[in-house]
Amino acid sequence: MSHHKLEAKDLHYSYPDDHEAVKGMSFCIHHGESVGIIGANGAGKSTLLMLLMGVLFPSQGEVCVGDVHVTKKTLPMIRQRLGMVFQDPDDQLFMSTVYDDVAFGPRNYKLDEKEVETRVLHALELVGILHLKDRAPFKLSGGEKRAAAIASVLSMHPDVLVMDEPTAALDPKSRRRVMKLLTSFKHTKIITSHDLDMIYEMCDRTIVIKNGEIAADGVTSEILVNAQLMDECGLEVPLAMQNCPVCGSAKE
Amino acid sequence: MHMADALISPLVGGTMWVATAGVAAYSIKKIQTEMDEKKIPLMGVMGAFIFASQMINFTIPGTGSSGHIGGGLILAILLGPYAGFLTLASVLTIQALFFADGGLLALGSNVFNMGFFTCFVAYPLIYKVLMGKGYSTKRIIVVSVIAAIIGLQLGAFGVVLETLFSGKTELPFGTFVLLMQPIHLAIGAIEGLVTAAIVTYIWNQRPEIIERAASGEAIGNASIKKVALGLISVALITGAGLSWFASSNPDGLEWAISKTTGTAELESPVGLHQKLSDLQSKIAFLPDYSFKAPESEAGQGAGEGEEAWPAVSEGTSTAGLVGGGMTLALAALVGAGISLLKRRKYRANS
Amino acid sequence: MANIMNSLYNMRLLDDLARQETIIHKLHPLMKLLTTVSFLTVVVSFGRYEISGLLPLFVYPVMVFSLAELPLKPILLRILLVSPFIIGIGILNPFFDQQIYRLGGMEISRGWLTFLSILIKSGLTVTAALLLIASTGMDRLAGALRMLKIPRIFVLQLLLTYRYISVLMEEVARTLRAYSLRAPNQKGVHRSAWGSLAGQLILRTFDRAQRIYEAMCLRGFTGEYETGGFKEIRVWDIAYWAGWMLFFVAARLYNIPMVIGSLITGVIR
Repeated sequence: MSHHKLEAKDLHYSYPDDHEAVKGMSFCIHHGESVGIIGANGAGKSTLLMLLMGVLFPSQGEVCVGDVHVTKKTLPMIRQRLGMVFQDPDDQLFMSTVYDDVAFGPRNYKLDEKEVETRVLHALELVGILHLKDRAPFKLSGGEKRAAAIASVLSMHPDVLVMDEPTAALDPKSRRRVMKLLTSFKHTKIITSHDLDMIYEMCDRTIVIKNGEIAADGVTSEILVNAQLMDECGLEVPLAMQNCPVCGSAKE
Repeated sequence: MHMADALISPLVGGTMWVATAGVAAYSIKKIQTEMDEKKIPLMGVMGAFIFASQMINFTIPGTGSSGHIGGGLILAILLGPYAGFLTLASVLTIQALFFADGGLLALGSNVFNMGFFTCFVAYPLIYKVLMGKGYSTKRIIVVSVIAAIIGLQLGAFGVVLETLFSGKTELPFGTFVLLMQPIHLAIGAIEGLVTAAIVTYIWNQRPEIIERAASGEAIGNASIKKVALGLISVALITGAGLSWFASSNPDGLEWAISKTTGTAELESPVGLHQKLSDLQSKIAFLPDYSFKAPESEAGQGAGEGEEAWPAVSEGTSTAGLVGGGMTLALAALVGAGISLLKRRKYRANS
Repeated sequence: MANIMNSLYNMRLLDDLARQETIIHKLHPLMKLLTTVSFLTVVVSFGRYEISGLLPLFVYPVMVFSLAELPLKPILLRILLVSPFIIGIGILNPFFDQQIYRLGGMEISRGWLTFLSILIKSGLTVTAALLLIASTGMDRLAGALRMLKIPRIFVLQLLLTYRYISVLMEEVARTLRAYSLRAPNQKGVHRSAWGSLAGQLILRTFDRAQRIYEAMCLRGFTGEYETGGFKEIRVWDIAYWAGWMLFFVAARLYNIPMVIGSLITGVIR
């Protein structure tokens, strides 16, 4: 299924103040993969996501979704296939009810109201918050907001889910619930996070970014335990992989 | 300085609604032709900010008191006049709906008083003109204070005129003006100072925000004139139209006219009272009942240069008291009855 | 600040109330809006000496209150708190108009009558607006505005403002808390921090607007927002409006308490 792959070819991007945030990144993500993108603050993760989504355009290099290049012209089509969940659900849930929020995308694609309704109800059911459909977003808890934000993307039937810190600011139970939910999706997933334990559990592949460049790209279970690499990139080995804090005994 | 529903007459409220709707429609058209859809979320969130900013007490040096930002001027400076006006309009709409500040009928007046004078008078004609030579800290302060004061003075005067034309209060024009204008001089000065502090900060941090708002908004003299002319003609036409409709039901405007010319106002529709009296005379078992008869009284009132006052005999006032009590009791009974029925239904269902 | 947090609480309460499913809630929002506007117009069209004629209009809020099963206390509290401006302006009436008026054996000045008239009108109009929002909700009201051909841009922007009030209030509250914790002896924000405190909040607001704009674009927003279908207006909805219209017009044309009162006093005599 070649049309499901997502490819970045030699991406470069500089901000107007000449700060070069992305310096020549290349990678290819295939259908059904779960990829974690990790790196220290300011490493260029967010800029990379913006480039993938076509919010920013690279000064050099290109992004391809399937066989289509991301350009101004192809954006509407690209954005239907890539769904992005923002770090702060308050930025993403801007309508006055959960229903209207989840319907926002489908309505913009001029689907008829019957189809919109089917999609909204289905998406809400998938994330398990159908009962909240008439609520105002500001009445939701952190976990519910996150679920609603994910539903607002699912209703567009994307092939790829791009998520910026999906577990940020969640209590442990809600975090677990969101992780379970995400694992249940068959979509291609791209997740950026500082929650390395979550990446470790959910992603088979990890890309490590350092100063706008790719420092490592490979199997998660090999990369995250590489203490030297993690340290150089401003990260550390996931807690689940570290020695026992009480007795100091190493994990087998 | 929210104008309230209770103080406004339908005629004044309606006229101001039409004027405000005209400015809003023009602003929306302007924004659409600029094709700046980026501004829509910005306007929405800035409106919410104006709300939230009411929480911030800016302590006024040397006094124990504190001030707030009103919003019109800072919105015009940061978003441009058109987007600023629309943003303030939605803020005031939500205030009217959820906090009952102002009211739905007075909304047109409130948006006009607080939005039009700041965004379309104080901002383009004072702020932009005086600021023309370029930004400096000192100039920002002086110009913001002048613009804020002028905007608020005009707004306050608008409140005075609208209240007087509505004729619900007894306040003489002079007293009202002396009451409103000086208070708003102080409020305007504070608002200007706070606005200046904010603008200076943003100008130092992100000058492009203010530049963007100021440029692209082609407020040439031509377009301002067009707005003003259009507005005045629309207001005149609706005013005339509404007065014509209202002429059978004399109200605010006529009250104001009668106040100044000394002619009498008729408190309620004459024809109706006649009909009522006819009806009453047919009801035989009410021989003593006297409906108020403003027509005859009005004639006498005019002679003394005194405003008409419905003739009220002892009998009618007693009838009014008794009837009023009964009406209220009836209303309360209806409410209680419905609530009782509902409760019973719930109990039956559960 | 506590006051503003109260407003936030009040907004959330109204939002909750609007999600009930009573006979009033189920009415078409447009018809409720029209009924409210008609009511307001009739109330304020009464002259400034009118009191008895206004009384029958109390039936409307009482009926809506009980039919929509709205709690009296929080809404009445709101009405009491509202607009010191009205009382401020109205309280001067007794000073400017001291003509004596005899009412059932008592003598009071006409100024008090006009003041009372203003208070009654204020109570009625404020209640009507609150009842509209408490039985309809902002989202459905926005639908009604769209049916009235209010431009999409304005309606969308209105909804956005409504949506982000709570978000920004919490943000401002956090900033103020951080400020006051490090400035224990100040009542408000000192002049030296005026610009930077409010200015930074505004800059953060601009950044948030940018993120929201991106979130909208990523879901296909191109400047035109589709609201989805409108709710159909049923005969019953129109009947509701028409029924109230009849009552309002009757109450405006005939002084109902006078008729009732004269009936009673006449019979006694």
